[in-house]
Amino acid sequence: MNHQSTDNEHIRNVFTRRAFLGRAAKSALQLTLTGQLLLSKKALAGAYAGQSLNLVLIQPHKISGEVLSKSFAEQTGAKLNVTIVPYDVIEAQATLDVQSGANQFDVVEYWYASIGSLVENNVLQDVTDLITKDEATIKTSDYIRSIYDPYTLYKGKRWGLPYDGDSHVLFYNTTLLDKHKVNAPTTWDEYLVAAKTITEAEKQNGVYGAIVMGAAIPVIIGSTFANRLAGFGGEFLKADGTPNLESDAAFKAAKALLDVAPYALPTPVETAFEQAVPSFLDGKGAFVECWTDLGVYAQDAQKSKIIDQWDVVQLPVEKKGDQPRASLNAGFGLGLSTATKKKELAWEFVKWATGYQTALELLTTSNSGIDPTRITTLNAAEYKRFAPKVQRAANAALHGAVSWPTIPESPKMMRSLSEKLNRMLADRQSPELAIRQINSDWVQILQG
Amino acid sequence: MNRSAPAGPCVRCWHIRDAPECIPAGPFGTAIFIHLKSMNSLAKASRKSAPHSVSPNRRRVGLLLLLPLIFAVLFSAAYPAAYLALTSISKSTMGKPFISWVGLNNFVSALQGDFAWSLMRTALFAIPTSLVQLILGVAIAVLLNSKMRFRSLGRTLLLLPLMSPPVMVGIAWKVMLHPTGGFVSRTLAQFAWLHTPSSFLGEMPWAILSIAAADTWQWTPFIVILVYATLQTLPAEFEEAARIDGAGYPRILFAVQLPLLAPALIAIYLLKLILSFKTFDLVYVLTSGGPGVETSLSSYKIWQTLFQDFNLGMASAQTLLLCLIVTLITLPVTWWHRRIQRTASL
Repeated sequence: MNHQSTDNEHIRNVFTRRAFLGRAAKSALQLTLTGQLLLSKKALAGAYAGQSLNLVLIQPHKISGEVLSKSFAEQTGAKLNVTIVPYDVIEAQATLDVQSGANQFDVVEYWYASIGSLVENNVLQDVTDLITKDEATIKTSDYIRSIYDPYTLYKGKRWGLPYDGDSHVLFYNTTLLDKHKVNAPTTWDEYLVAAKTITEAEKQNGVYGAIVMGAAIPVIIGSTFANRLAGFGGEFLKADGTPNLESDAAFKAAKALLDVAPYALPTPVETAFEQAVPSFLDGKGAFVECWTDLGVYAQDAQKSKIIDQWDVVQLPVEKKGDQPRASLNAGFGLGLSTATKKKELAWEFVKWATGYQTALELLTTSNSGIDPTRITTLNAAEYKRFAPKVQRAANAALHGAVSWPTIPESPKMMRSLSEKLNRMLADRQSPELAIRQINSDWVQILQG
Repeated sequence: MNRSAPAGPCVRCWHIRDAPECIPAGPFGTAIFIHLKSMNSLAKASRKSAPHSVSPNRRRVGLLLLLPLIFAVLFSAAYPAAYLALTSISKSTMGKPFISWVGLNNFVSALQGDFAWSLMRTALFAIPTSLVQLILGVAIAVLLNSKMRFRSLGRTLLLLPLMSPPVMVGIAWKVMLHPTGGFVSRTLAQFAWLHTPSSFLGEMPWAILSIAAADTWQWTPFIVILVYATLQTLPAEFEEAARIDGAGYPRILFAVQLPLLAPALIAIYLLKLILSFKTFDLVYVLTSGGPGVETSLSSYKIWQTLFQDFNLGMASAQTLLLCLIVTLITLPVTWWHRRIQRTASL
């Protein structure tokens, strides 16, 4: 084989004017689109080429992992190995990885509500100094205020950067609402009346006014309750860290949940994400509170029977004129595992994956499962074009959103909440009783 | 091949000694027979040749040969048991084991909390479901043992639930029991037995009964296979003798076959009881422990304590409590089993 001639040919190609211009244009495009601006000079110079990095992601973010893997390899020459795990076991996987000494993961995706638990279990590394050092690249002021602190802050230090800013909005089926002359609700009372009207008229056709996710899983019924708690102006914890559930807002939120159950797709206690989404896409429900990426599925011809027959508004509030508030349901951050032996490369990746350009690319990729965490990506023209309806609703609600507790006891507290609320729905218990039981559980849990 | 029975108690009929036809049937019959025969010869040989004192060299070689087994037992049984016991008396999280020693606090907390109720629920689930499955298993095995047509097809179909992964069994039942589109709801509605969509998995007692139904569907074939294999080994002479004495099949079944099967049935019940106490997959897939915590069986509760609360100390204490309860409940069954075996061998 004539290697000499091949090399000469390569050199000739490299220095032809056309090739040079082509490559320059391609590089400029890549730089803008896939986040090379976020990488350090060292990374761009190929210092990490040939190295590998292990990332653990939740299953709904599988496609985002594929995008990251491809782009990161193209830009740094480093190989990104992505491990996908079910969303409800990612904390356990990351913890076991560190505790067992397996040390497989360098970068961990974490549910923000478990940040306290992960820190106390020595799974996440303190990245406060790294954020300060790279502030110019990261631009922390660009993160949505209501997201940045809950996702990253615990005991005064930062433990990661926001990656997926999940929150619920209210999706509705325009055909059903038009047919029954119902407007998109702005208050929880209007929502109840609308759900009741549609269910009573359509029940015999297997169509219901609302799809209510009430399965006894914290991220499911916890989100449904949190949406109402936010709408009635409540919070999970007081400023001093004690439970705030014996508040008027919490009672009203539980009552609103119980009131709509008879008009919801049978039956709310069994309905989780995997039942709710196909039912809505099948046209079986008029309203569903869901994560913003449902808007992408609703326009997917393979999954949806309601293409262009849906719209979305921010979640209802207590009374007209109140400011809509989202609840931060199931958002995720990226952090460095304490087990990593490649801290520099891992941080390079986290910075890059959560930066503006990469985040925008993920936001505008179908089925990536990623929602905005930054003000600039939320307001980017590309995102507005990609998901105009969802962008409007998210933009109106994400500022001032309610966060779930992030203390180490949070998983146990949210489990108690989900079990008691599920029981309330199943047995038609009084909301006051359920809320008092949850509050009492929380006091006990916090007392240790 | 002229097969003669080994001396000593028979493995298939338990109380018949030295029966000449006493050779295990089925594909492994010959193998079991040869194994028994060789074991018997070995025992005889060792009895004959065993010296009264063993030389130190031989003893050292013996110990050396035992070392792999000792290490295997230490790693596979002793270490996990010791770890479980030690973590149960400590404050331990999944990420930080042995933060501090807390004595029996974890046990007290477990017994004062929801876990005590989960133990009660688990016992109330495991004891009757295992019994129902045993009765069904015996009935089906007897049917397969009769000279009915399509026996082999029946046996093959019976294996299907057993071969299905438990998670898939859960998903299949979840789909079947779905309130609006599920097979059960649709069928009941067609016969006008159900007028509004009903939540089988979201209401009590239907939720626990649904788990019991799925468990029965999955595990009854296992019992059928064990009982069928045992039925095949029963000596035909007893049935023939009973027939000559004028007994009909029901009488033969209840007066001859079932008494002969009794020790095996008790052993099978014991096995299934232990399996039922460990039920996890079906709860995880079908109800997530709901409504509320009504279907949170102990294994599911332990999983929640460890993988949702990350509380390793408490999960270890709960595991030991579950082991204790299983032992206490299975003790009478074990005692009964031994008693029947002893009576049979007299």
